[in-house]
Amino acid sequence: MSETFEEFRNSFYYGSRSDLNFKFLKNLPDEEAAQFLRELLDHLGDAYDHGGLDPLIQLAIDWQIRGYQPPEGATRRWVYDEGPFAEPARPVSESRVALFTSSGHFVAGDDPRPFDVEDMTQEEAEDRIDEFLKTPPTLSRIPVDTVHEDLRVRHGGYDVTSAASDPGVTFPVTALRELEAEGVIGTLHEDAFSFPGAAAQMRLIKESAPAWAQMLADQAVDAVLLVPV
Amino acid sequence: MCHVSVGHVARAIEEAGIPTSVVLVRAFRHVAEETRLPRVVVTRHPMGRPLGAAGDHQRHRHVVMTALELFDSAGEPVMVELPEPFRAGL
Repeated sequence: MSETFEEFRNSFYYGSRSDLNFKFLKNLPDEEAAQFLRELLDHLGDAYDHGGLDPLIQLAIDWQIRGYQPPEGATRRWVYDEGPFAEPARPVSESRVALFTSSGHFVAGDDPRPFDVEDMTQEEAEDRIDEFLKTPPTLSRIPVDTVHEDLRVRHGGYDVTSAASDPGVTFPVTALRELEAEGVIGTLHEDAFSFPGAAAQMRLIKESAPAWAQMLADQAVDAVLLVPV
Repeated sequence: MCHVSVGHVARAIEEAGIPTSVVLVRAFRHVAEETRLPRVVVTRHPMGRPLGAAGDHQRHRHVVMTALELFDSAGEPVMVELPEPFRAGL
């Protein structure tokens, strides 16, 4: 059975060729997706002769940026005219700073068990992405002295390969602990927080986000570093 | 959707009176603009690696430092785009 180019592009988005690094191919019109593949092969050919993969990687990043831009004139659901702006109560060097990410990290033995599944794999999380998007998120509390070996990561929305091998790419506790020791920040809050960001938005807006904000206020957190992934 | 989710969490935290600073990749800069986040650092890294490549600890620190500095320096909403390219395989 023959496959159209559109079907080929779409297969990278949770399809037969699912690849979270390249799922943006679904967003590109055929002509642009073809141009991307053409340029990718050109750069790969150059690498045969000149070595060095940096231009190839940069090309893929540039096309990823292009792939995620909203089409001109598209209706966007979550657009605000204004945003809140809280003034810091004290300099960051005297502040209690907390880390909050949507990286999907959690501590071994404290699995948030989505849909009551024991030890859900990354593959299953990807397969069930639509269910995650309809479900309120679960927040994982991660003591900042958790060692790398005890950290786990699972997220149906992005390629977790880097985040698993070096949590610092999405969950920069190591950098923050160093900066605390050097006095750049006053105190690193004893717990960091993470949730898989793919979640039901209305429940998040009405319930989870205000509850989490109140929790941080109750714990006397002065400033929050957030990392969406 | 992750970036929208964190946008909503950041807005709630700001509304509770706690300042936030957000690090995200260039592909999702438009989400930070649409959700009107007050302090944003944009990196030219691929999705899934906002602080930099695995092993590039120096870059992770630099990005975190830039985000922290905004707490002291930003008197109004600000978005800083870091120009450094992604460094793989360190």
